[in-house]
Amino acid sequence: MWLDRPVEVLARHPGKKRRRDLLEQRRFLGPALISPAIIFIALLVGAPLGLSVYLSLTNATAGSLSGDFVGLDNFTTQWSDPNFRTAFKNTIVFTLIANLIVVVGASVLAHFLIRPFRGKWILRFLILLPWAAPVALSTIGFLWIFDSLFSVVNWVLRSLSLVDAFNPPQWLGDPTLALAAITTVHAWRLLPFATVIMIAGLASIPNEVNDAARVDGATGLKKLWFVTLPLQLPIATIAVLFGIVFTATDMAVVYILTRGGPFNSTQMLPMWAFQTGINSGSLGPGAAIALYLLPVLALVTVLMLLFARRVEVT
Amino acid sequence: MTDVNDVHESTPEEDVEIETTRRELIRRAGVGIAVIATAGMGAKTAVAGAPKYTGRELKETLRIVQWSHFVPAYDKWFDNVYVKRWGAANDTEVIVDHINVNDIPARAAAEVAAQSGHDLFFFLSPPAAYEDQVIDHKEIVQAVTRKRGKIGDLAFRSTYNPRTKKYFAFSDNYVPDPANYRTDLWGEVGIKPTSWDNVLRAAPKLKAMGNPVGIGMSNELDSNMALMALMMCFGGFIQNDKNRVVLNSKGTREALKFAKALYEQGMSNEIFAWTPASNNQAMVAGRLSFAMNAISITRTAELVNPDLANKIELLPIPAGPNGRIGLEHVMGCYVIWKFAKNKRLAKKFLADLETKYIGAFENSKFYNFPSWPNSVSNITRRLERDPVAKPAAKYKVLGEIAEKYTKNVGYPGTSNAGIDEMFNKFLIPQMFAEVAQGKRTPDDAARTYDRQIREIFQKWRDLGKV
Amino acid sequence: MPTRRRRESVLTYAVVGPFALVLAFPFYWMLWTALKTDGDLYNTENNPFGFAQGSPTLDNVRFLFEQTDYLRWLGNTALVGAVVVLITLAIALPAGYALARLSGRWGQSLGVGIFLVYLVPPTLLFLPLSRLIAELGLQDSLWALVLVYPSFTIPFATWLLMGFFKTIPRELEDAALVDGASRIRSLLHVVFPISLPGILTVVIFSFSLCVNEFVYALAFITQSSSKTISTGIYTELIRGDVFFWGALMAATLIPSIPLALLYNTFLDRFIAGFTGGAFR
Repeated sequence: MWLDRPVEVLARHPGKKRRRDLLEQRRFLGPALISPAIIFIALLVGAPLGLSVYLSLTNATAGSLSGDFVGLDNFTTQWSDPNFRTAFKNTIVFTLIANLIVVVGASVLAHFLIRPFRGKWILRFLILLPWAAPVALSTIGFLWIFDSLFSVVNWVLRSLSLVDAFNPPQWLGDPTLALAAITTVHAWRLLPFATVIMIAGLASIPNEVNDAARVDGATGLKKLWFVTLPLQLPIATIAVLFGIVFTATDMAVVYILTRGGPFNSTQMLPMWAFQTGINSGSLGPGAAIALYLLPVLALVTVLMLLFARRVEVT
Repeated sequence: MTDVNDVHESTPEEDVEIETTRRELIRRAGVGIAVIATAGMGAKTAVAGAPKYTGRELKETLRIVQWSHFVPAYDKWFDNVYVKRWGAANDTEVIVDHINVNDIPARAAAEVAAQSGHDLFFFLSPPAAYEDQVIDHKEIVQAVTRKRGKIGDLAFRSTYNPRTKKYFAFSDNYVPDPANYRTDLWGEVGIKPTSWDNVLRAAPKLKAMGNPVGIGMSNELDSNMALMALMMCFGGFIQNDKNRVVLNSKGTREALKFAKALYEQGMSNEIFAWTPASNNQAMVAGRLSFAMNAISITRTAELVNPDLANKIELLPIPAGPNGRIGLEHVMGCYVIWKFAKNKRLAKKFLADLETKYIGAFENSKFYNFPSWPNSVSNITRRLERDPVAKPAAKYKVLGEIAEKYTKNVGYPGTSNAGIDEMFNKFLIPQMFAEVAQGKRTPDDAARTYDRQIREIFQKWRDLGKV
Repeated sequence: MPTRRRRESVLTYAVVGPFALVLAFPFYWMLWTALKTDGDLYNTENNPFGFAQGSPTLDNVRFLFEQTDYLRWLGNTALVGAVVVLITLAIALPAGYALARLSGRWGQSLGVGIFLVYLVPPTLLFLPLSRLIAELGLQDSLWALVLVYPSFTIPFATWLLMGFFKTIPRELEDAALVDGASRIRSLLHVVFPISLPGILTVVIFSFSLCVNEFVYALAFITQSSSKTISTGIYTELIRGDVFFWGALMAATLIPSIPLALLYNTFLDRFIAGFTGGAFR
């Protein structure tokens, strides 16, 4: 059989054997396989990150990559700025709410999409659309949907006589509504993505497990609680984690929909960092703002990953 | 003159322009190469182009980046006609890239970080924060001054830093900000928006008719400009002529009170959600009765709803207790990076562009006004002769606005980095919106934002820029 | 039991239907807007779901293709996506395998470390990267994107593949090893074919991440012919304070529908691979 040949080959070429032995070594092979990835990331993410940290400790301005050292001033002065505090609070609130919606929605959807039924392909196609569209463009679509004058949502509400024709709800102009609008767009965008991951998680549950469960009489809700959910938990955690990261570090949605308005009430940290560091030229403080979230997210990441590993059922 | 060498794919809207070109051609027989442009409903047309310098390698290269002009015809003229002609005359290949106006800061920062990029970079507002990254543009200013007289006061205050004595940008144009109003609706009410008092008086009636007044209070450009100008009309200034913050003043408080009253009596809550396009769209849809905006509203209406366009007219900004003070809508400022490869040609390009600004003025459909007023001769007569406007002299008032009622952001001081940051963070619209929605009293708002802006100014003062 | 199955299917439609409706409604709306003339669009009197004043029209689509470099941008985006996917696979496959099998305790922390890469917003990373791009002479070139995009596709891909490789029972590989195959051989002939679903997933996700990317494309490229769809649309269809809504909507629909079709097709395959493949 095909595996016989290598043995013959090795017997004939002892030199090659030594090289192969080296590659057999776990100690060598492992790092060898990982190193391209590590090098890539170190160069293209690690180095810029280091530079950003450096910038946050200086008073650099307007794109210049150097400045005078000011220590932690850029970080501490932020708290006296109400717009920064709003941005910080919003980042947490938006992320939590959007991902709550996503995780519930995706779990439910995945549960139903795993089985065959008529029309599944079409329905699944429709569900995948938000994820297929480039975020910058689909958000512009939402800008039109929420337009102050031509919003189709308001038109529908008006025709149902649910709102005042002259002063319809301003989805991007009222602080609460704007919050809802932005959260909705985040959730809308992430739902297909999370659903796909959940489907994968469900699909990876071996048939044997399903069969065993049926044999044991666990069906419906009982099966969901004791069998499906625990097996799904690791993957679900990963899905949530990615959702959180993508929402908390996203700038496009706020940038396009409200620019942080109305009156800077929907600011998020990445957006505020951009507005300070790039649009206003205060690069040092801007870098500091962008880095503010890093420790928080890192903590969340580590905790969730530990959790995922703990609940892994092997 | 409309340039005879228009390289144009004609759309129906531009047919009128082509007609003018033909008329001028017949008048100036024998000049240049004749353009044959056949108009057709949306059909792609073949156009004989500008003189072609076949195959010869041009000695130098000049790279420019600027915004996608709201008037696409301007970009077509600039990219395909003007720079090619200038390039041929100067043995240079000129490459023009375009970006969205909102992305200008990001790209600028990227080029500075990279220490490499375009020779000429275009900003739509005075880029005071980038002062250290650019050359002193004094030479270019002097070159144009020699031929066209003194620089306009507006451009001077927008591009000169009195503390460092440096011209941190070269402004070739600015856009005046007229008041747009519906003659039929205001006619029904019986007054004209010549003063803010009149506006407040008419507002409730207009709102009752379903045609509210529209002064944005949102995180966007139009709101910034309109509100700052409103403030100045009431005597509220952000800084004084020594660039010191004086926001907390009676004038500011009066302006805030006025704006709140105007909102409650004459506007709808859509103004808090506006994008720069919103007031355009609302006015062109027939809803707004009054807006402060560049002529993009009327120009769009001419294309989309000509009947409505005839009912929109322009006036200078309404007068307040402190007089009639307006702002530019946007300010075109070119900078030459310190690391630009071709500084000499970049300087020459700018000087040449500004010295003969007629082509730009006409091809932008009067959007671009020259920073040196003498760079376009007979502005009034040209404005009167707009081929599309009804009534024909509609745009004439722009000349008056440009001359008398257009000041720089930060007037009476200069447009410095502190003003720039405050502008980019939309602090003024934020202040007005909070008062209008009852979240702060005028006193509290003036005090709070005065303090915030002072902090920003202090930061830049420490850096030696203000 | 037939009634139970009918109840199940009613429940399915009742749940999935509304989701599909809400998720796809914006696209339906985009389609409608794309077919309207400006006169129809900017009239508040008109029913947005009806046509009037010259609608429906293909003018917006025609404008998109004739007056802008849209086709070029589509091509650029596709090209960048494809190349980046290849690079990602080339680097992430071995890395994922190594992390799943070969690295023991410190492999876990390295895996977490790779993930932490995502926590820094690109809104500021693009500045130092611009310097790098300029030094390499790649400014305004699509190759700049090809170089930088893997920096955010590789961590995700590695993570995903690590997960997939972990679900492949060691027994399969060990069996091959016992039979005398070298580890590399077993990698190529046994493990990778089974992980095809995982690879497919990486392809889909990486491509999707590339297509969505906006900040880097904006910062590195200004030449119209080298733009991707996100930046090209933004530049040429939003001019100052005029939005070309009809064309904007059309521009969004045109790539989204084929992509969604593609994803939908692959989804079937990799789920089939999951349930069918490794547990023969």
